[in-house]
Amino acid sequence: MALWSRVRSWLRATVGRSRMENEMDAELRFHVEAYAEDLIRRGVPRQEALRRARLEFGGIENAKEGCREARGVHFAETLLQDLRYGARTMLRSPGFTITAVLALALGIGANTAIFSVVNAVLLRPMPFDQPDRLLQVWHTPPQKSFPGMPTFAVSPANFLDWRNQNHSFDGMSAYGFGRYTLTGTGHPEAIRMVAATVGLFSILHAQPLLGRGFLDGEDEPGHEHVVVLSYGIWRSHFAGNPDVVGKNIQLNGQAFAVVGVMGPEFDFPIFSDQEARAQMWKPLAWTDQERAIRGDHNYAVIARLKAGVTLRQAQAELDAISNRLAQEYPNDNKGWGAIAIPLRDDLVGDVRPALLILLGAVALVLLIACANVANLMLARALSRRKEVAVRTALGATRRRLLQQALSETLLLAFAGGALGLVFAHFGLLVIVKFLAQRLPRSSEIALDGWVLAFTLGISLLTGFAAGLLPALRMAKADLNQALKQGLGRTAADSGGSRTRNVLVVSEVALSLMLLIGAGLLIRSLWVLHNVNPGFDPSRVVTMAVSLPTGKFVEPAQQISYFGRVLDRVRTLPGVQSAGLIDSLPLSDDGSHQPISIEGRPAAAMADLPEVEVRLISPGYLSSMHIPLLSGRDIDDSDAAGRPGAVLISESMAKFFWPNEDPIGKRLTLYFFPGLTREVVGVVADVKISAMNETQPAPTLYYPLAQMSAARGENWNSFGMNLTVRTNAAPLSAVPAITNSVREIDAEVPLLNIRTMDDSVSASLSPARFTMLLLGAFAGLALLLAVVGIYSVMSYSVSRRTNEIGIRVALGASRGNVLLLVVRQALLLALLGSVIGIVGALALSRLMASQLYGVQPTDPITFVTVAALLMIVSLAASYLPARRAMRVEPMAALRYE
Amino acid sequence: MAKPIDLLQGTLDMLILKAVSLGPLHGYGVLLRIQQISRDRLEIQQGSLYPALYRLEHQGWIASEWGESENKRKAKYYRLTAAGKRRFQTETDKWNRMADVIAGILSTTPEEV
Repeated sequence: MALWSRVRSWLRATVGRSRMENEMDAELRFHVEAYAEDLIRRGVPRQEALRRARLEFGGIENAKEGCREARGVHFAETLLQDLRYGARTMLRSPGFTITAVLALALGIGANTAIFSVVNAVLLRPMPFDQPDRLLQVWHTPPQKSFPGMPTFAVSPANFLDWRNQNHSFDGMSAYGFGRYTLTGTGHPEAIRMVAATVGLFSILHAQPLLGRGFLDGEDEPGHEHVVVLSYGIWRSHFAGNPDVVGKNIQLNGQAFAVVGVMGPEFDFPIFSDQEARAQMWKPLAWTDQERAIRGDHNYAVIARLKAGVTLRQAQAELDAISNRLAQEYPNDNKGWGAIAIPLRDDLVGDVRPALLILLGAVALVLLIACANVANLMLARALSRRKEVAVRTALGATRRRLLQQALSETLLLAFAGGALGLVFAHFGLLVIVKFLAQRLPRSSEIALDGWVLAFTLGISLLTGFAAGLLPALRMAKADLNQALKQGLGRTAADSGGSRTRNVLVVSEVALSLMLLIGAGLLIRSLWVLHNVNPGFDPSRVVTMAVSLPTGKFVEPAQQISYFGRVLDRVRTLPGVQSAGLIDSLPLSDDGSHQPISIEGRPAAAMADLPEVEVRLISPGYLSSMHIPLLSGRDIDDSDAAGRPGAVLISESMAKFFWPNEDPIGKRLTLYFFPGLTREVVGVVADVKISAMNETQPAPTLYYPLAQMSAARGENWNSFGMNLTVRTNAAPLSAVPAITNSVREIDAEVPLLNIRTMDDSVSASLSPARFTMLLLGAFAGLALLLAVVGIYSVMSYSVSRRTNEIGIRVALGASRGNVLLLVVRQALLLALLGSVIGIVGALALSRLMASQLYGVQPTDPITFVTVAALLMIVSLAASYLPARRAMRVEPMAALRYE
Repeated sequence: MAKPIDLLQGTLDMLILKAVSLGPLHGYGVLLRIQQISRDRLEIQQGSLYPALYRLEHQGWIASEWGESENKRKAKYYRLTAAGKRRFQTETDKWNRMADVIAGILSTTPEEV
């Protein structure tokens, strides 16, 4: 209310300026005339009365000025005046202005770009109704069998028990991800399919755009041939035709009724890789046998918390249920717990540390930019002391001077902010391009209203941060001294140069911290590049061969199909060798299972050791150049019906047979009982999920031909990855390979065609990208610090011209003068480095999760970076020092 | 007649609020009203009245509109707003408390210390 009246009266006073002036005039005239009339009535002659009335009123202009002031006219007017004046001063010194605006634009731009990413990925609510009530529920595996693995997929029987026994959730849905072959719409195409128990859409509170979601009972076997389309596939494959609802489509050779179409915004599960978005959803229908499976963990689970139930209460209940299940089914469930994780944390847990590090880094860059601009402003404030003194003498108040100085930096900051937005826009294009496959929700990254508000906010903050110190100094200037000293070239302003030294030291310290962070990442990337993945990725091309479910039902059919594929591919020109594996190295989607070793005591499943299990064909090892360390490779003689043969990795050999020869030892796979398999060879360890794996995972390879049960489930298809080593450029062999595979069976889709080199590179790309960004920010920081040192040294030299002249006149050599200047620069850099190293020691621990093979306190990095900074500081002080060396004593003494 | 005393700093606002609380007044009327109720014992700089009026209006304690004066001329009239009424009340209470305290201090005799 009171605020509104003020704004109204302020607007009336500023916008309706002339009207207010007229009214004020009329009001004051009325006063004087009314008074005069009173006097006339009391008998004073007319002329005299008017004179006295005016006299007693006092200065009319004074009163008007007071009125204007009361209305805040002044503030607005002086602000405009200041801004105009500021703009003029800035245009008069373009060098200063460009430097300052550029420094601020880079700082603000970097902050805006990284904030946009953080905003989209970490801050913006998930695109669901009441997203903070949505939880992802996982198993927690026994740490003995799965050291270091925090969560694990869920088995059907355990999921059903959780769902039936809990009182915390408004619904729980298990879902899995698979590929279905869509036929009847052109080429056979592999469709990314999610199979989920019927509660999925209601748990997400998701309404279909057309038709319906799943009905109760549609997850019974025999009733599950219904499918919901994603908006994307509806538009691309069904021309966005609403009539498709109710029609049948062919998936894996079976008819599915389309019952609904989701809206364009619906995306579940959300993947980091946009290319992995689900295209269709179908009910997950477990048979009675499948419903009883406890020990095989294959599903993800989403749940919605009931209103009024806290995460902690839900977790407590899950713990209680898990304990009960572990006692009831010790063979499968001993040591297996459950954990509920908020959906967003589950999704972004991996990228959060890297993003926060980058956010911290850009904040440091902005601080350095602020210090830099403050420094430049200080130098200018000192050279403008006379101007300030004159203005003070003419009656400018301290407040007025402060306001003027601050409005200048604010102007700089807003110019920097505007340019920063442009930088951020282009920076984001690059970031999104690089991160599209690694960052969840990267498509939502945009310069939206929140980001603009953020940019506006930090521009304002930056303006104040950079401007307050110089403004205070400017307003404090001592009138008499300044006027007496003229331009003030003597050493009287030691306070000013102390402030500037402090600023430069902090700039050096902050940029050293950033450089050390970047240095550590560069070191660990270098280590990663030199890590031996266990195979030779060069000239190897891989592709997934995905079998439609309905077509190859028996293991024998699947085996013979892949046999034919290998035979054909091996005869192609340019192909050196070819093999098959169910999940490729560095792919992170392999399976593990427990094993029991002949001659060792039988144990419950939970107590059995787990190993990575891979299905391979003969020729896989040679196509990937994985070294055979002892024994023999598998070959065509290891066929169905022959004695079981397996290869094991070096780490598996060391783990189970530390002091024995593993060759000839016999073991059984838990999920494929009935066939005892003999270790026939030991191969080198391979990075199975990522290049930055710290410990090799014990791995077992068994031949495709000895696959005892058909792979793939009723809702998922089975596929193998073809690995082909070529003579020349690997991708040039692709057309021939795909053609020959299609010739064998045109309905088998080929997916994910890429070279192994690309896979290695992709595995390093998050680390490389974090490194590149942090490196860029550190480089920026270094540049700003150099500018800071340079400007302080130049200023110091020009201020000491007199002194240097005297020294030279008294016999100082050029070397002495050089030393004088360089020593000062080195001292600043040294002090900054020491503080920076202490800061880096304290902060680099936060980066531990991003490092590989390098300690956060790596002395080599610390020393190298500090040395680099010293050299750069030396270089920055060279130009000013050279200027100092050329000082002519006579000219310098006459300079005053 | 005793010589009029100068106005204490900050009290002009209170006097204006009191004056317009008795009914809408134009600027000159405010001056007359204050002189009348103070029985000419206060000296008010006429020119200083208007910045004070503008300030009070800016703060929303008084409001103004143009009307016709006694001698049929256009004049700007000020009246107290609801917010101004509350403000006047608190200012009055504060003033009274202050006056009590000061009077108490000034009337203290050596024996009482």
